[in-house]
Amino acid sequence: MAAQDTNFERAAPKAHRRLPAELNILLVLVGIALVFEILGWIFQGQTFLGNVGRLKIMILQVSVIGIIAVGVTQVIISGGIDLSSGSIVGAVAMVSMSFAQSAEYARAVYPALTDLPVIVPVLIGLVCGAIAGFINGWLIAYTKIPPFIATLGMMVTARGFAKWYTKGQPISFPTESYAFLGSGMMPVVIFLIVAAIFHVAMKYTRYGKFTYAIGANPQAARVSGIDVERHLVKLYIVAATLAALAGIVVAARGQTAQAGMGIMYELDAIAMAVIGGTSLAGGRGSIIGTSIGMVIFGVIISGFTFLRLDAYYQEMIKGVIIVAAVVIDTYRQKKKVK
Amino acid sequence: MKKFLMTTAMVAGLAGGADAENIGVSMALFDDNFLTVLRNGMQDYAGSLDGVTLQIEDAQNDVGKQLNQIQNFVASGVDAIIVNPVDTDATVAMSQAAADAGIPLVYVNREPVNVDSLPETQAFVASDERESGTLQTREVCRLLKENGNGEGAKALVMMGELSNQAARMRTQDIHDVIATDECGFIEVVEEQTAMWSRTQGTDLMTNWLSAGLEFDALISNNDEMAIGAIQALKTSGRAMDDVIVAGIDATADALAAMEAGDLDVTVFQNAAGQGQGAVDAAVKLARGEAVDQKIYVPFELVTPANLADYHKN
Repeated sequence: MAAQDTNFERAAPKAHRRLPAELNILLVLVGIALVFEILGWIFQGQTFLGNVGRLKIMILQVSVIGIIAVGVTQVIISGGIDLSSGSIVGAVAMVSMSFAQSAEYARAVYPALTDLPVIVPVLIGLVCGAIAGFINGWLIAYTKIPPFIATLGMMVTARGFAKWYTKGQPISFPTESYAFLGSGMMPVVIFLIVAAIFHVAMKYTRYGKFTYAIGANPQAARVSGIDVERHLVKLYIVAATLAALAGIVVAARGQTAQAGMGIMYELDAIAMAVIGGTSLAGGRGSIIGTSIGMVIFGVIISGFTFLRLDAYYQEMIKGVIIVAAVVIDTYRQKKKVK
Repeated sequence: MKKFLMTTAMVAGLAGGADAENIGVSMALFDDNFLTVLRNGMQDYAGSLDGVTLQIEDAQNDVGKQLNQIQNFVASGVDAIIVNPVDTDATVAMSQAAADAGIPLVYVNREPVNVDSLPETQAFVASDERESGTLQTREVCRLLKENGNGEGAKALVMMGELSNQAARMRTQDIHDVIATDECGFIEVVEEQTAMWSRTQGTDLMTNWLSAGLEFDALISNNDEMAIGAIQALKTSGRAMDDVIVAGIDATADALAAMEAGDLDVTVFQNAAGQGQGAVDAAVKLARGEAVDQKIYVPFELVTPANLADYHKN
């Protein structure tokens, strides 16, 4: 029992440091925001941060991907990866929306099933996500194929499913109660709830301790009595269910579902986690760090539009900022360990 | 449905007279909303012509499969071939195969790479992409004048994905119209991409609004981004009467937005019209009549005034 405890302690990142690891990346965020603030006064003659509307959109425009990133962070901490999130967003958006259509629209996917209470499409969507996650997790845990391959397979399959579901036709005209899930700042509220739940789960429960332990050293985790396979299946179910939730929110927000929704979301979510200090080698990372990574994305997107940067330059510069943020973080981490 | 259509076509083929025109059609893919409307347009028009039968095949987005289908049409001695190319760079071989066999060939919707060097008995039927953005921007220009902004107006431009030809062309159209004397009063204050997507359209517009940008019109490369922008404008409490929003595509959602009084302009690409034009050209070529080598089916401007004509589709 004693040996087991030390194992978990070593795996948990907080044992190492006095200052929270997230401080580094928080400084990067503040730095980027200040650069935009200064450039704003120079080139636009107005404040970047002192604008409530802009602060809102900064978070709102990334919160859907943030919901995915919360799940992806846990998978990466366990030493895995999930490439299927973006496709699950597309597939679940389609399925969920098809049960959320308003009777006012004459050409619903299921004309007999319109005006259903909002819980029905939401539950159907979440269950679809959970099934996809179970398949991911089962393949990884029991057939031992690499997570990269298992979730790549799901990425292709789920996208194919999304296109097949209505033969490429978009699905629109949801009920008002469904659309409410994506209206105003609701996506941010949903993100905050999800992030709070999993912040607690990762930091203070066995669920989180097991995840860090498996990511730090799967052999040691197994020896100390963790059912690694079972826990991995759980993690992939959580990740895919959160991707499904993101799919529901994005469909509600746009009041439409399209087979191409969520393309590349998985990579943005992974980038948010990694910027937030999650190690792709496993064993290190946190929900708070990922949330800061998410806000960095939002600040960059809004900052570019604010500075009226030519659209052709934006992606190039965004890529450079992502890599630079991780380089700064890694460098500061190393210095601290020495 | 597909099988039903094919069977109908085949049964009709068997019933046709001796001098009937049998036309082989190779579609890039069946599972595409726009191309399905085009395909049904061909089918309906052929059904209305005496003795014209279509044999429609699905190339499933596979260039190799499409070439095989064309060779099969040649081998079975059809009177004409209609091709909706999977890959517009792969059309030289198709033109060659049809020309060698002396069978007329019509390309539809997608412009073949050899469009300027097509053999005599081949033609291309589509809509001229340059029209869509032009029609859209001219209408915006007219509406701005009508609203009393003729002295100076500010416009925002939302572009589709930057690597996409339609996005570049439609954006170029906007600039070309604004460069003319009568619409020169419009100034493009901002131009950004929202990747054809509704949610990104919402985000981009919200970012613009929070930057305090003033504008009288939004010209979007497609309807989806325009609808997204409308959602953002409404959230911010902006009155939709004093801003002109224009999209392209005339999707069902866009027509609903227009009916609600939010969207002012969109442009309809007549898929069924292109299908009809292609069958028409193929039949004429098969009968040895001359046709223009480039046949353009016009884009159609959709505004609240003629909305009812499109709503029922």
